[in-house]
Amino acid sequence: MNKKEKLGNFTAEDAPEYEDMLQCMRCGFCLPTCPTFALTGRERSSPRGRVALARAVAENKLEFTQAVKEEAYFCLDCRACTTACPSGVRAGEVMEICRSQSHQQSPLGHIGRSFREFILQRMLPNPDLLEKSMLPARLYQRLGIQWLVRHSKALKLGPAWIDKAEGMMPKLDAPLRPQLPEVTPALGEKRGKVGFFLGCIMTLMYPEVSRQTVRVLAHQGFDVITPKETKCCGAPHLNEGDRQTARELALFNLDLFLKADVDYIVTDCAGCGASLKEYEELLAEEEDHQRLELFRSKVRDVQELLCDVGLRTEGLKPVKTSVTYHEPCHLCHAQGVSNQPRELLKAIPGVEFREMNEASWCCGSAATWGLKFSDESQQVLDRKLSNVAATDAEHLVTANPGCHLQLAWGLKQAGMKQDVLHLMELLGRATPEV
Amino acid sequence: MLDKNILETLIQQLGKAAVVSEAEDLLVLGYDSTPGLHHAPDVVIYPTSSEQVQIAMQIARDHKLPITPRGSGTGLSGGSIPINGGMVICLNKMNQILEIDEENLTATCQAGVVTLDLFNAVAEKGLFYPPDPGSQKISTLAGNVMEDAGGLRGLKYGVTRDYVMALKCVLPDGSLLSTGGKSVKDVAGYAFKDLLVGSEGTLAIITEITVKLIPPPQDKRTLLAYFDDIQIAGAAVSKIIAAKIIPSTMEIMDKATINCVEDYVKIGLPRQMAALLLIEVDGHPAMVAEEAEGVERILNEVGAAEVHVAKDAEEAASLAEARRTALSALARVSPTTLLEDATVPRSKLAETFALIERLTEKYQLTVGTFGHAGDGNLHPTVLCDERNLDEMKRAHAFYDELYEQVLAWGGTVSGEHGIGIAKKEYLARQIGPGGVAVMKRIKQSFDPDGILNPGKIFVADGE
Repeated sequence: MNKKEKLGNFTAEDAPEYEDMLQCMRCGFCLPTCPTFALTGRERSSPRGRVALARAVAENKLEFTQAVKEEAYFCLDCRACTTACPSGVRAGEVMEICRSQSHQQSPLGHIGRSFREFILQRMLPNPDLLEKSMLPARLYQRLGIQWLVRHSKALKLGPAWIDKAEGMMPKLDAPLRPQLPEVTPALGEKRGKVGFFLGCIMTLMYPEVSRQTVRVLAHQGFDVITPKETKCCGAPHLNEGDRQTARELALFNLDLFLKADVDYIVTDCAGCGASLKEYEELLAEEEDHQRLELFRSKVRDVQELLCDVGLRTEGLKPVKTSVTYHEPCHLCHAQGVSNQPRELLKAIPGVEFREMNEASWCCGSAATWGLKFSDESQQVLDRKLSNVAATDAEHLVTANPGCHLQLAWGLKQAGMKQDVLHLMELLGRATPEV
Repeated sequence: MLDKNILETLIQQLGKAAVVSEAEDLLVLGYDSTPGLHHAPDVVIYPTSSEQVQIAMQIARDHKLPITPRGSGTGLSGGSIPINGGMVICLNKMNQILEIDEENLTATCQAGVVTLDLFNAVAEKGLFYPPDPGSQKISTLAGNVMEDAGGLRGLKYGVTRDYVMALKCVLPDGSLLSTGGKSVKDVAGYAFKDLLVGSEGTLAIITEITVKLIPPPQDKRTLLAYFDDIQIAGAAVSKIIAAKIIPSTMEIMDKATINCVEDYVKIGLPRQMAALLLIEVDGHPAMVAEEAEGVERILNEVGAAEVHVAKDAEEAASLAEARRTALSALARVSPTTLLEDATVPRSKLAETFALIERLTEKYQLTVGTFGHAGDGNLHPTVLCDERNLDEMKRAHAFYDELYEQVLAWGGTVSGEHGIGIAKKEYLARQIGPGGVAVMKRIKQSFDPDGILNPGKIFVADGE
């Protein structure tokens, strides 16, 4: 790689682009959409403020200070500001890159660093290790909790995170990855061949959801190829500012799925989907552009794919129930997939869809944000739950494991009647067994 | 750097939560939406009551700190930028709607209520607050009053000034001033409230506002007209007005603006057209039908390329929403967007478009023009790069020449954004030395020490 020029008080590697910050004309349209600004009313905790801070660092007007680092991590990375910005500024991405800066500029102490490296560079990139760690006594309880307990200070987690982390764990079934056949053949008239990108959290925590996804895809006429070698998409690494490992994972997955020669690369995890769709930018300097474009052109969220090709409803069983829909940030804001899930819900026979207020407002999960800022997360969650309650629907449907964990936990804590379903679970109920 | 003792006094008297002094916070409270302007304050106060505003002003006065009021920082003339540092008073946390009086058709709000929040709250009671500046989703009412903000409905419904009935404010000497009331008529003495509206934070800090509400129109219809030539669009506007039809909205976008907006909203705006007019007529259903027909006829007569009628309220709303993003969407094209606010008598619209085209050519610039055509209020926006000094020089020459002609036509240098920092010299040209001298004497009588929002509106001696 060419030696890059250093931008102000950023280091040369993985610094935000100056043009991206200059693009902000400070109109403030992002302010009313930002959950952290809504919480604090503090300009520096708004997208406009954060971009201004980054710009000041780039212009040597500010060091990469503790406050800048704090804002990089206090940002939920929900991307609501990206949707709201007419000028095309992506404040969330600028902050994500600042997280990488934060690790370059003020590395963690030894213990914190080795823990972070253990998770991000050893466990997550290795699906076998991940599953083994889950088998004996589950990730959070064995590997996770003990390490986290010892090192929670180094990681700056909030005081109540441990109860929450334990409380959020769903009942765990065996991981899905080893059980899924490499090829699940299409049923009925064939409509194409998809490569199913099975995410880490999906296989470990929501194996039943992804089992339904594969079943639905097959029933909808797609051959489903699930490459067993698939590695983590890299989202947790980007989220924690480890862009190097993210690039290595991205290169591997890109190659794996291009070789599979499929029509679409499909995931049922909004976080993975957003990450896969950003490989083009992440790998801009290390991969062939045509290959990147080809890969990007094939990636679809499963809801997006099924809506765009048209849901085949003949033969679906009615599911007599009412649902409301929470839009995962990484689906609606990061991928712009907002109408498609609603269209699917309306197309499932028997389902009554009830729109909630502020459906696209973050639920407060945001990867580890909900554990790091547990009080703030609770406030964001409460806002969501009151909007859910107002619909009085039977089920809360969403399409991302992070939201799923947070919402299920929140509903239980609040003693509300709704349960959380992934849209594919609901569609699975409507899809007859063959 | 603020003296430590002053900071301690502020914290002691106002509480820690109301006082902000970290460098990073100050840095991001030193701008508004005006390009190229920034100056960090030394301390920022978030008062929650009039009393707290008084206390903060007292302390500022004791220590000769300049004071700059701020809302959400969406201004377009630099009004809330603390150009000499000192104290910024942010009124966002005073955001309660205190009363909606359905018998007198008024609403009383604290200074920091967001414009759209008020609109929605009164709409729930079947009432209507018409002023709708582009930034209504986040702009504050006191900011709207201080800049006399306009919006898309100005043509028929007027601007913020036309709705202000009463103001409560804190004067620079710390005393409270209450002016106006809920009475429809009021000629008791000088009309201070009319003086305060549009005073850009130089005379007093507003803490409470009572506005007039009206019944909403029963019906409306939205038309969209496309043009091959922007001057024809200008002529259409003048002809519609001349036909004694006053639409509630008559907005224009040129080709550059259409394309930037479409890049963002993706609702199928016509990328090939030279201009479009977004026209809305509202009122009693019978009148709406008649006026819509009249507008359509005139549009066809002057030679609009296409005329469309929005099929439902949802489509109409998405068109208005799209128009609101125009300025920010233009910012996609270039790092810097220099926006102006020239306003001409409506009969001069077509000539103004011709002038803008000629000057764009002359100074070799990229310009996107949009605005409230029905008000004669245009926002020619130079899309440039503040790092290119030669381009910036040409941009300023462009505006210089444009304003010269606008003033010659009897227009104004600012229709709705205010003078602030950016247009002080143009104001002097418009109202002359005599006008400036009277304005300065008024300023002097409200603020003899000159501590309130210094450096705005007037060119200071020696500047």
